[in-house]
Amino acid sequence: MRIKLALDILGFVALALLVVFVPHFVADFTAYELAIIGMYFIALLGLSILTGFGGQISLGHGAFMAIGGYTTAILSVDHGVRDLWTIPIAGLVAGAAGLLVGIPALRLSGLYLALITFGIAVSFPQLPKQFDDFFGGTTGIVLGLVSPPFGLDTTPNRWLFYLTWGIALVLLAVAWIFLRGKPGRALQAVRDSEVAAESSGVNLATYKTLAFGISAFYAGVAGALYVMSTAYMNPDVFPIVLSVYLVAALAIGGLDSLVGLIAGAGVIYILQNRSDDVTRWLNHLPILDLNPKQPGMPSVVFGVVLIAVMLALPMGVGGFLRRIFQPLTSRLYSRS
Amino acid sequence: MRVFSLCVVLAAVAAASAGARPVATPGVSSNEIKLGSSVPLSGEASVAGNVARGAEAYFKYVNDHGGVFGRKIKFTYLDDGYDPGRAVNNTIRLVQQEQVFAMFSSLGTNNNLAVRKLLNDAKVPQLFVSSGATTFGRDYRKYPWTMGYIPPYSEEGEIYGRYVAKTVKKPKVAVLYQNDDYGRDLLGGLRRGLGAKAKAIVARVGYDPTTADVQPQVTQLKASGANVFMIFAFGKFSLQAYNAVSRLNWKPKIFVNDVSSASALMLAVPQKAANGSISIVFGKDPAAPLWKKDKGVRLFQSILKKYGSDIGSRDLDNGFYTAGMATAFTMVDTLRKAGKNLTRAGVMRAATHLNEKNNPFVLPGITVHTTPTSRFPLTQVRLQRWSNKSWHPFGPMLTAKPR
Repeated sequence: MRIKLALDILGFVALALLVVFVPHFVADFTAYELAIIGMYFIALLGLSILTGFGGQISLGHGAFMAIGGYTTAILSVDHGVRDLWTIPIAGLVAGAAGLLVGIPALRLSGLYLALITFGIAVSFPQLPKQFDDFFGGTTGIVLGLVSPPFGLDTTPNRWLFYLTWGIALVLLAVAWIFLRGKPGRALQAVRDSEVAAESSGVNLATYKTLAFGISAFYAGVAGALYVMSTAYMNPDVFPIVLSVYLVAALAIGGLDSLVGLIAGAGVIYILQNRSDDVTRWLNHLPILDLNPKQPGMPSVVFGVVLIAVMLALPMGVGGFLRRIFQPLTSRLYSRS
Repeated sequence: MRVFSLCVVLAAVAAASAGARPVATPGVSSNEIKLGSSVPLSGEASVAGNVARGAEAYFKYVNDHGGVFGRKIKFTYLDDGYDPGRAVNNTIRLVQQEQVFAMFSSLGTNNNLAVRKLLNDAKVPQLFVSSGATTFGRDYRKYPWTMGYIPPYSEEGEIYGRYVAKTVKKPKVAVLYQNDDYGRDLLGGLRRGLGAKAKAIVARVGYDPTTADVQPQVTQLKASGANVFMIFAFGKFSLQAYNAVSRLNWKPKIFVNDVSSASALMLAVPQKAANGSISIVFGKDPAAPLWKKDKGVRLFQSILKKYGSDIGSRDLDNGFYTAGMATAFTMVDTLRKAGKNLTRAGVMRAATHLNEKNNPFVLPGITVHTTPTSRFPLTQVRLQRWSNKSWHPFGPMLTAKPR
């Protein structure tokens, strides 16, 4: 076990070093894109605690991101709060909403829970439209652009990168510590068999609602960062389909692999912003002749790619990596 | 000693200023000017995306004829599905990754509002946006890098109001409007135009641009017993409104706002509801018999045939393409006026000193005119009436210039 711990810490340090050095080697806009990927990574971390470890499916995490996003937008525009300080508040507000949703989750599981959370994703965007004086309606809220604080000598995009990935590293460490200990084992026990978990003394209600709360906190932080990065918020910034993308990305990354989630986050970014480029790349294949400008074409291509990936890597990127590295690590374990 | 150090400082300053070359303007090179745009190519407003395709064809035509001072225009437009959030993503990508010189003719009121601050903070021109929301021309002190193109919606509404007050005996007006700055500007203008008769508005219902169908709203409006119906709705919503009117067997006098009045749309709705509809017009409608032999429309069709991508015979009659071409004509005019030494500040100066009398794609007699304090390029319109499957302009040239 000690070697597994050492490997985990080593991986974390490697990731931290990457975060420090990557912005020096990439274009300014790439730093921005990587920052957005970091935001999806944070949301996926939260979802992985809930779904990957806790076994509860949520198709409503886009709504928690939106709650975080609105918290940041309203606090910074209407109340003059500095954008940086709105991030933890956004997390807490979304987390509280998550706890509330966690309560019905106690009675439901599987498909029914997925339906309830999907209902939240569908209905949440109506709320800001109904109370448009407070939420800005479909016209939305325009924020100021992020700027590096304390006179730091860096570009807004690089600052956004450091901020996002800095927070991501902290939240990754928190998730890791949380999942390593008793709560993590309890959650996995709940996932594998509720009856067995309860009979060995795991308090189902506590752990299920807690998982929802923590997971929504992560989504709220991600939503706050995203709104800061685009300086705009309206009900469609976090569309319903994003909730579905998040679950799909979790499957691509591997349900319980933290690093595989980075790959999943990248997939969401490409899905949302770069699917026209994917279409163009695919055109390099000799048999294909797709028109990326044709409406809907990018989504179709993406759907097909998604199916192909799931057929090729049924356990996700995380599972794939594990299969490659297992021979190596298992030898390390046996020696210890 | 002091003299010596002074000399050193002076020398350093001289060296620094000699070494300082003028900073290159993003998106401009010796042979290229990059322009970007975000438009709906998918979703409920996708018909309007043809504005960008029309502009693209015109830019290619200009490039083939020497470009602007030898520079070719590279025009990149991305799909936002009429969703402001995606318009923000597109704009950030175009400005930061593609490094466009200016944003040109992005479509949608909310979509342009969403990126206005961002573009102005970065001092990137946001030119000739495809929205008539009054704020784009009015609030230039706060947003000096932004300008609209088409006549302001508030003035359009006012023209309808005045016309109703003058011609309809006992008007009872029902209004369907998009619940954002676009719809509200039209509604506000309508009220002003009705003047003393503003009480004639007996019912008004706003709809959300992400809604599925406006038939319930139209049903509600019909129940008011109105004899005049204002369709201040966009794209598919305007189609749905006409269909609902026909289905409900309602026979009001219909006014339809300019951005939804393209012949292609009007031909797609039940003609018994469409006949007699009134709108404003400032661009040449390639589908109208009136312009069939017009030089400008001929030029439009030949350019679109040669330079357009995926052009079918129906596109040659599509007013959205003409609108895009008219805007692109003014853009090229502006770039030429900005001179060989192209800068972002220079192009804004040119855009606020327009006096273009020769735009072949707008009605004869219209001058595209701006000054630094009057930033509404198109402020002359006529009324037109729909009958026999086409629009027919009538009446004198009216002013849509905000006072």
